[in-house]
Amino acid sequence: MKQLTRGAWGEPGSSLACHTGSWRDLRPGHEHAAAPCHAACPAGEDPQYWLAAVQEGDHRRAWERLVAANPLPAITGRVCPHPCEQRCNRGHYDTAIGIHGIERFLGDAALAAGWDYPGIVGPPAGAPRVAVVGAGPAGISVAYHLLRHGLVPVVFEAAPEAGGLLRSAIPMTRLPRAVLDAELERVLACGIGLHTRQALGRDFSLDELRAEHAALFLAPGCARSRPWDVQGVIPAGTRDGLDLLKSWIDVGEVPAARRVVVHGGGNTAMDIARVMKRHGAEEVHLVTASGLPGPQTAPDDVLNIVPRELEEGLEEGIVIHPHATLSRVLLRGARIVGVELVALRKLERADGRRARVAFEGTERILQADLVIPCIGEQVDPAGLGALVQRSGFLRVDARGGVAGACDLYAGGDACGNIGTVAAAVGDGRRAANAIAARLAGAEPSERPRTEIGIERLNLNYFEPRPARRAAVLPVAERDDLCEIEGSLDAAAVADEAGRCFACGNCLACDNCWVLCPDAAVLKIADTASDGSRYVFDYDYCKGCGLCASECPSGFIAMRPEPE
Amino acid sequence: MPQALEGSAAVARAVALCRPGVIAAYPITPQTHIVENISRLVADGELDTELVSVESEFSAASVVLGAAAAGSRAYTASSSQGILLMMEVLYNIAGLRVPLVMTCANRAVGAPISIWNDQQDSMAARDAGWVQLYCVDNQQAVDTTVQAFRIAEQTELPVMVCIDGFTLTHTMEMLALPTQAQVDRYLPPFRFARALDPASPRSLGMLVTPEWFSELRHAHHAALGRAAEVVERADRDWHKLTRRSAGGLIESFGDPDAPYAVLTIGSVGGTFAAALAECPPASPTRLLRLRCYRPFPLAALHEACRGVRELIVVERALSPGQGGIIGTEVRAAFAGMRGAPRVHNVALGLGGRDVPMETLGRLVAAARARRLPPFSIFDLQPERLPAEER
Repeated sequence: MKQLTRGAWGEPGSSLACHTGSWRDLRPGHEHAAAPCHAACPAGEDPQYWLAAVQEGDHRRAWERLVAANPLPAITGRVCPHPCEQRCNRGHYDTAIGIHGIERFLGDAALAAGWDYPGIVGPPAGAPRVAVVGAGPAGISVAYHLLRHGLVPVVFEAAPEAGGLLRSAIPMTRLPRAVLDAELERVLACGIGLHTRQALGRDFSLDELRAEHAALFLAPGCARSRPWDVQGVIPAGTRDGLDLLKSWIDVGEVPAARRVVVHGGGNTAMDIARVMKRHGAEEVHLVTASGLPGPQTAPDDVLNIVPRELEEGLEEGIVIHPHATLSRVLLRGARIVGVELVALRKLERADGRRARVAFEGTERILQADLVIPCIGEQVDPAGLGALVQRSGFLRVDARGGVAGACDLYAGGDACGNIGTVAAAVGDGRRAANAIAARLAGAEPSERPRTEIGIERLNLNYFEPRPARRAAVLPVAERDDLCEIEGSLDAAAVADEAGRCFACGNCLACDNCWVLCPDAAVLKIADTASDGSRYVFDYDYCKGCGLCASECPSGFIAMRPEPE
Repeated sequence: MPQALEGSAAVARAVALCRPGVIAAYPITPQTHIVENISRLVADGELDTELVSVESEFSAASVVLGAAAAGSRAYTASSSQGILLMMEVLYNIAGLRVPLVMTCANRAVGAPISIWNDQQDSMAARDAGWVQLYCVDNQQAVDTTVQAFRIAEQTELPVMVCIDGFTLTHTMEMLALPTQAQVDRYLPPFRFARALDPASPRSLGMLVTPEWFSELRHAHHAALGRAAEVVERADRDWHKLTRRSAGGLIESFGDPDAPYAVLTIGSVGGTFAAALAECPPASPTRLLRLRCYRPFPLAALHEACRGVRELIVVERALSPGQGGIIGTEVRAAFAGMRGAPRVHNVALGLGGRDVPMETLGRLVAAARARRLPPFSIFDLQPERLPAEER
């Protein structure tokens, strides 16, 4: 007969025979959720992924991860409004990670060191050729990504140089031309054929291109300003903001004016307003139907101006009149002497949406000797014909495909998107994927990951740390050519990247391994398929969820046990 | 060579002489001086042991449980609320049959909170399955501490050495410490047959199902029963070695034919021994000092009480709603016996109340005058209480 031991001590191996994992009804698993910065990036960058390489001190690897999505980090690090920072989970804790400064640092480091883009090999002989119309950010991006797919991009640009809006409309104070030239030169040198001074509708037609190329990507941008008048009146000699900016960039001159009214609430409006102020205007007023950022303003009602540019503009003395429009232009003869402003109020329309209408009785007069319309741009229809919609834009599906034409794709400002460089870069990348997939007879594979919110993080494992931001040139020292925002140094970049919560990713902190009460988290020498060094021993995991709740970065999720 | 030592310091020295491998304790009045003295011995390099600082008595008991299970000679000490906080682990130590030694510096248990001496704390642990030995003086405390390791290791049962708080722990006394050579001869190195060893793994703390539980309880109960003989032999051997006995199971003093006897436990036995010499009761009285309370020495008690007509059981704790704890057990021990003594039961010296020498004479006189109820708290002053509480 079986006999007991003294004190009921167990025989060897007895506890391991008890597979307590059978008690489990929730199962922990590694879940590589998307950090909000990734979900927010119109270009499709995964900042968390490249910040992790910065944390490890490997700037080159960080840059290589970054340019897998966006070939222009030195540019976007300067001009992008960085929605990634607005969505950053750390913003709910102390201050969002200054992603743009790090992106810019990596872009500049790559230019200084001459790093080559990874993953680009010469296209095989006989590879399909894809025509690209427009060498702005969307066109450059699609060409770069087509190269990565082993296709041959051929770019046609109406202007004498590549760059599009980057060159014609973004002031040097935001984007030094040396940076622009260096970044473009490097992308083009990868094997992109560029034909400049070739305008669609003048030098070639769509049908010609389609005959010679396997696919076509249209990124003509918005070269034409929207028609503008005030009650039918257009003061003599009125030039829109885009036009003035371009001539200021090209020849350095703007019309002389003491009191300027800029009509519009976008980056062009703010850029030209600041140029006018710097060129001697005593007063520059910016009149916009949108609102200033703040708790009172709905997100879709905020001015479309990069937040730091708005801040700098206010510092420089630009006066903003939100939720207002021009109701009259006051003329003395043909000369403008002022404008009448009227406040706008919300009115519910029959369809339930709200429209802004003039609030009668709030009219007031601003003296002005120049009014600059900046109410937006639209596609120049030359050569595009019926592709341009009534809205003034091209219409495309989520992958950039133009409706009704399987070989025709489009992207960038011409599609009426949010109008940022990053969005154009993202359009180019998605279209290149779609084109490559179609030419290979496959479905484009981009599996979206779920976004992880701050509630999934365990903030007890983080400490508040001051953000590192680059120095900004004082107002008195700003001129037409100096870059206003400075660069971070390597130490500041390391510090700032170190603040990243690594949302949805394994920090290798050992919390799960140390805290598992059943020793059911195993640490392994090799990297597991999910990228971490931990695996769950489901024979003994009781599903208590301690690992998930103590994971600082939300990498572990509890899911119902499969039936 | 006799020397004057505070009780706590003497116990610490005795522990050190036993070469413990692991000591873990959490300070609590009146045990603190023991831990402090051990710490000093370690700091001075006189004691080579793993002294583990813990955050509670629960951890202290758990550490020594693990240490002893892994084959190390282990020691801890506590008191009062500390004993209560350890209680779960005390049951585990005994049930797992892990040999180790603990000093209980006896103190009252709150509420009301009191730092002074009685024995409610070790009585609360009465049923945990430990050997419990109570000391009359600090010499016995020293000798019993050394013996306790031998008893524990021979029986594979934990031993609790109970010494009255302050009365013994904080009192200077002339006493003789054994030499290291004597202790080494008496106490061989600890070899634990079930020691945990990664080379041959086993588990402790297993779940035991109803079909096995009763047998294990029986084994534990029987082991304690057999331990009485080990306790006696340990004291005999100690006497051979040092010419000192620490009190066996029960010590008997005074007139062996006296019809009156007083049974004590702990340091009151010292007070009453002095009283027998200096202010003896009017009636011939013998003094019985119960040293080994668990296992309960039934045969030795019967032997010591031969010829006794009136037995007064004096204890320093009680079971509220029932009465005396030891008194009840003594009554049960004589139940149904022809010629059994009449048992009087008093609790006294509760919460540190002084027990002067004259108490002995007054107890015997009260018993003789039939003024003692079956159980009472002696020297009570009920007028201090509101009428409805008396």
